[in-house]
Amino acid sequence: MNQNLNNAQETIDRIKDAFENTDFPKLTWTTNHYHNYYAWLKLENAADLTKAMEVLQSLHARLCTITAYAEDRSLEAKQRAIAYHFAIQSVLFCVTIQIYDKETLEPLEIPSITPYFRNADWNEREFMEMYNIKIINHPNPKRLFLDERLDAGIMTKLIPFSSMVHGTGSKDLWEQVMLEKIGYVPETFKNELKEPGFTKVEETKQQAPKPQTEEKE
Amino acid sequence: METKQLNETKSFSLPLGPIHVALEEPMYFKLDLEGEKVKHVDVTSGHVHRGMELIATKRNFFQNVVLTERVCSLCSNSHPLTYCLAVENLAGIEVTRRAQALRILAEEIKRVASHLFNVAILAHIIGYKSLFMHVMEVREIMQDVKETIYGNRMNIGANCIGGVKYSINNELLDFAEKSINRTEGHIKEIIDIYATDKMLLKRTTNVGSISAEDVIKFGLVGPVARGSNVAIDTRRDAPYLLYNELDFDVITETGCDVHARAMVRLRETIESIKIIKQLIHNIPEEGELAVLLPHIPAGEAMARSEAPRGELFYYVHTDGTDMPLRLKWRVPSYNNWDALSVMMKDCEVADVSLIVNSIDPCVSCTER
Repeated sequence: MNQNLNNAQETIDRIKDAFENTDFPKLTWTTNHYHNYYAWLKLENAADLTKAMEVLQSLHARLCTITAYAEDRSLEAKQRAIAYHFAIQSVLFCVTIQIYDKETLEPLEIPSITPYFRNADWNEREFMEMYNIKIINHPNPKRLFLDERLDAGIMTKLIPFSSMVHGTGSKDLWEQVMLEKIGYVPETFKNELKEPGFTKVEETKQQAPKPQTEEKE
Repeated sequence: METKQLNETKSFSLPLGPIHVALEEPMYFKLDLEGEKVKHVDVTSGHVHRGMELIATKRNFFQNVVLTERVCSLCSNSHPLTYCLAVENLAGIEVTRRAQALRILAEEIKRVASHLFNVAILAHIIGYKSLFMHVMEVREIMQDVKETIYGNRMNIGANCIGGVKYSINNELLDFAEKSINRTEGHIKEIIDIYATDKMLLKRTTNVGSISAEDVIKFGLVGPVARGSNVAIDTRRDAPYLLYNELDFDVITETGCDVHARAMVRLRETIESIKIIKQLIHNIPEEGELAVLLPHIPAGEAMARSEAPRGELFYYVHTDGTDMPLRLKWRVPSYNNWDALSVMMKDCEVADVSLIVNSIDPCVSCTER
């Protein structure tokens, strides 16, 4: 195991040289039983993010991934934070930043780090849609996984399984069948099924052609 | 002459997928073509997004071992392993040497099967059906090993927080050794075929190229990076478990193309077999297999491992309850997808599925 420590020591020294005696908060170091080393940097100011990225780029860090998360488990909580995870040879380095105003708790916009790390592209797109976080100057800010019709911030919402698959699902499906077969959804059918969750097919309903029989009358 | 004129005439868009682009998993490509050449590729994903990271925050730490094993079938051992490593880092849990060895055994058996599956699909895509069937038949030996030792072919349920859920006796070790010896002989023949077959070389050489500079720029990992001569392997770069006590080489190739990536995977199976043999002959006999229901404190931790497709990363953030506040994982495929725009630039339409397969894509891993 000491071999790991020897290999890591040079990297640890380089990281310490780059971040210590600067305006950045003090680094925290942790290790595990395999003598892998982890550095943690908690930024207090959103403006420091790009400075930290410049330093990490100069250390030839590789962006592993980015994690956005809510600091509080409650669904109403607005406090979001982002953890940027890097590999600098054998050391893993995590930069965490809170992205809300400490007094008003209102969310803050943060700059894209794609100018420093190209592979931040997908990561930033993912947390934009999952947590409704605003990114400044993202080169390609379109949806990554979620359909455009779904609201951003879906990872902060609880959608009951029953809403998702039972009432809503079956109603939508039958409405589509009705539209395809007879060109409209009968009022009696609409009233019989109460939709418990979110609505999705309003646009389709409005565009539905009038029934042939009514036109003739 | 007529064909040449036709190729030069039109620019158009070609939708490809989302089903059956190399694999059954869905990913949609919009290709902008000039004649038969791909000029731009746009990837649309999200067809099988399951919100697993959100589900993980509604399950306790022990239930999440089962959940993470179901992220993906091919690297179904790497996910719970790396999740357990992250939780163990957080709680300061030390895993016994016997349990560490058993974890590596499971990882390397899975790696051999996974790599053989990928190179078999390569043969399938280029229409070399007899080679496809042969490689899949050899892979079946490893599937039998998994089924015999773990009782299952894909989700083997080997890991738990603090250790492993299985043990192995001498009879099973003998069976495993005989099986991998059989596999090794076959794989050496297969490597020879992939290295020399003229038809295979013509279809895979100088196809889907990506330079070492672009590999670093896109943060690529695993056999895709190593196929472009970027020697990155978590087992060597940041050793975990007993990997720094084992003798194995980090395989690299310099071709930077589909063929180089296939050769990396094939040669790595030999290294995995080397590791399995070392473990079979030196498996520690003493030590508990697992820690009984450890307490997981509030805090955060990271861990990574070398899955068959490359570096797998896990981050866990806890608040003192028995469920994670946040569990995030980044699979190797995630980075590799984005780089397809480089690999497919100016390639032939007929090579698109071949290039997609060369990153050993996993959609269920990527979308979670």
